[in-house]
Amino acid sequence: MNDAVTGWPIAGTGAVSSVGATTAEVFTALCAGRGAPRPVRAFDTARLRTRHAYEITDPPQQPAAWLCRAVAEALAQAGMPDDLCDVPVLVGTALRDLRGAERDWTEGRSAPPDPHFGRILRDRFGACDTHTFAGACSASLYALALAADLLAAGRADTVVVAGVDTITASMYALLDRAQPGAPREVRPFDRDSGGQLLGDGAAAVVLRRPGTAPARAVLHSVGLYCDAGHVTAPSADGLAAAQRQAHDRAGITARDVGLVLAQGTGSPHNDRAEAQALARVFGPEGDGPLIAAVEGMTGHTSGCSGLLNTVLAVECLRHGRTPPVVGLRDPIEAAAGLRFSTGGRVEPTYAQVNSFGFGGVNAVAVLGRAA
Amino acid sequence: MRPVADPVVTGTGVALPGARCAADLLALTYGSARPVPEPWPSRDRDTRFKDRATRLALMAGEAALTAAGLLDAGGPTVPGEEVGVIVSSNLGTLDTVCRVTETLDRDGPAALRVVNLPNACSNATASSVAIRFALHGINLTLCNGATSGLDALGWAALALATARARRLLVIGVEPAGPAARHCAGASGTLDGAAALVLESADAAAGRGRATLTGYARRTNADAAIAAAAAAAGPAGRATGCGLWLPPQEGAIGVGAVCHPDTPEDRAARAARAPRPGFDPGRRDRDTEGDSHHPDGIGYATVCDLGRALPPASGAFGVLQCVAATAWITAGTPAGVPPTALAVAGGGRADDAAAALLLSAAHHAGAPDEGEE
Repeated sequence: MNDAVTGWPIAGTGAVSSVGATTAEVFTALCAGRGAPRPVRAFDTARLRTRHAYEITDPPQQPAAWLCRAVAEALAQAGMPDDLCDVPVLVGTALRDLRGAERDWTEGRSAPPDPHFGRILRDRFGACDTHTFAGACSASLYALALAADLLAAGRADTVVVAGVDTITASMYALLDRAQPGAPREVRPFDRDSGGQLLGDGAAAVVLRRPGTAPARAVLHSVGLYCDAGHVTAPSADGLAAAQRQAHDRAGITARDVGLVLAQGTGSPHNDRAEAQALARVFGPEGDGPLIAAVEGMTGHTSGCSGLLNTVLAVECLRHGRTPPVVGLRDPIEAAAGLRFSTGGRVEPTYAQVNSFGFGGVNAVAVLGRAA
Repeated sequence: MRPVADPVVTGTGVALPGARCAADLLALTYGSARPVPEPWPSRDRDTRFKDRATRLALMAGEAALTAAGLLDAGGPTVPGEEVGVIVSSNLGTLDTVCRVTETLDRDGPAALRVVNLPNACSNATASSVAIRFALHGINLTLCNGATSGLDALGWAALALATARARRLLVIGVEPAGPAARHCAGASGTLDGAAALVLESADAAAGRGRATLTGYARRTNADAAIAAAAAAAGPAGRATGCGLWLPPQEGAIGVGAVCHPDTPEDRAARAARAPRPGFDPGRRDRDTEGDSHHPDGIGYATVCDLGRALPPASGAFGVLQCVAATAWITAGTPAGVPPTALAVAGGGRADDAAAALLLSAAHHAGAPDEGEE
């Protein structure tokens, strides 16, 4: 199936993160290089080595509220009412509201956890065809792929795709044990990176059939691939395979890509594999696309990160600007031939979004300017 | 869009106390579960660091892949790039997440085991299944409440229709670990998994046991049944289903423990269910135009897994489809159509209901006239 003939219009976007509560706020802050980790408020980190994260504080620990805010913004941008009774809603998340389950368990409450976002979206938007994909950190880009497939198969004219994640104490503490360092900041692709820091976030896009609405940008393809190799470590081969699949499905070559929003978590293993894969796909000569990576400002927003970067890619394509890679001072050897964003003007025809998760569950999207 | 032949079920597997194979599901009655061999689920060198949901899923998944002919003693029989994994589970990661948090509070970070890192993420089971059987296709985890298992089948059908994969291993699993048991309270919770392999008609090359003809998720059971029948095209317009698989009440993980269905809810749901007493003659009434309406559907027999099993949450829909496949494969008496209708969700605490239609595999290949 070729989902690339004209691309799928993105009619609206929404974003909530530690740096802002709307698409415009988030994009403006990131282009200005604003966004830094703060001491964790949601749980006690006194006995951990790591103490910092990128939390949303208004309201804190409420992924469902952030999700609804992002979806509402995307619908408003698309000129649609807050009524999704006939619209499929696909939500990608890694950690759902498991922080709520942790609180219930440690405080001795026996409330059954709400394992998905269907009820909150029904109550708020009347949605009844909601699907919560609780994947790895690529969950929301997987949801974006399935949304495009729904349109391609003629099963829907409009699909709302969302990503949302919050920081669980369990994931935070296990990362604290597993990571080489105890980072106080995130430094994507940097030699001195101590690892990743988690962040809260939500993002949403309204995807429509061509000709039904004005587009802010278009989605050309999403490539999906599973390494099936290691439970946490990514493989450069798998990351490259997902990128090539995305280019093939979009009907473009690697040379057509002008901007990449990389995953760039700051985790040394991940960054090395991603840099190797980027060099393999775009060539090691330094004439490849501009590489942006925002997790130095937003933290790693887990399953939300792919869609948050998709929203940012839309803004980059619309405004011709791109955020700088905050935290990168001295690139790792594998990244030596990559051209990193320092902020400023960029006029790509095609922008690529990378999203890689635990288990080697990889997804890569290709977006383009609206016609 | 070019019509795509409906996908087919080519193999099934179960990992469930009281059921050795899919056909046993049909004979299950509540309380008849045979004694469980200890330790359950089985644990070996390869799975010692896996969570309970993953160990159950691997058992059922291996059985389904083997039954489909995609796995034998020598390993996979088809390229792993062709095979994807979709796991449905609402409570799969709950135990790891709760236990790690408790250990952190009580004993501090030094007591944590780093091997639990991947298990603290919701996709642990799906990625572990892919790794174990070297499956490189799409890898999805669906946590979608009471309808989650049927939804997983619906996404599998879409992935095959759009050529995201040629074959998919779909697993529904819920583990009865301490946190899940605590939340479930007196009603208990399933400790098992069911799996099936869904393939494009093309990839199945005659190995199909049952055909997935329609699926939909809507605001209530009536609307979901009507939409699934419409999606099924001509096949869904038959006025009767041979097997009716009703939803399960009070499944945990969807808030039903806090808000149990009232007697009025149950009465309303019973009133909405297809009528017993399948009448093959009703097919003649197609011309009356009532054939899309669920009230127009009769059934010959019922498979009420919801009464036979503890609350099965995200595993329920896959269990229903595995049982339905066994029923269809066994052959039906003359006059009873080899079709099955499964419905999940639709209770007061659920956000929606899902419906799915299966029919005998020899119905495969008919162009879907219900779609442009």
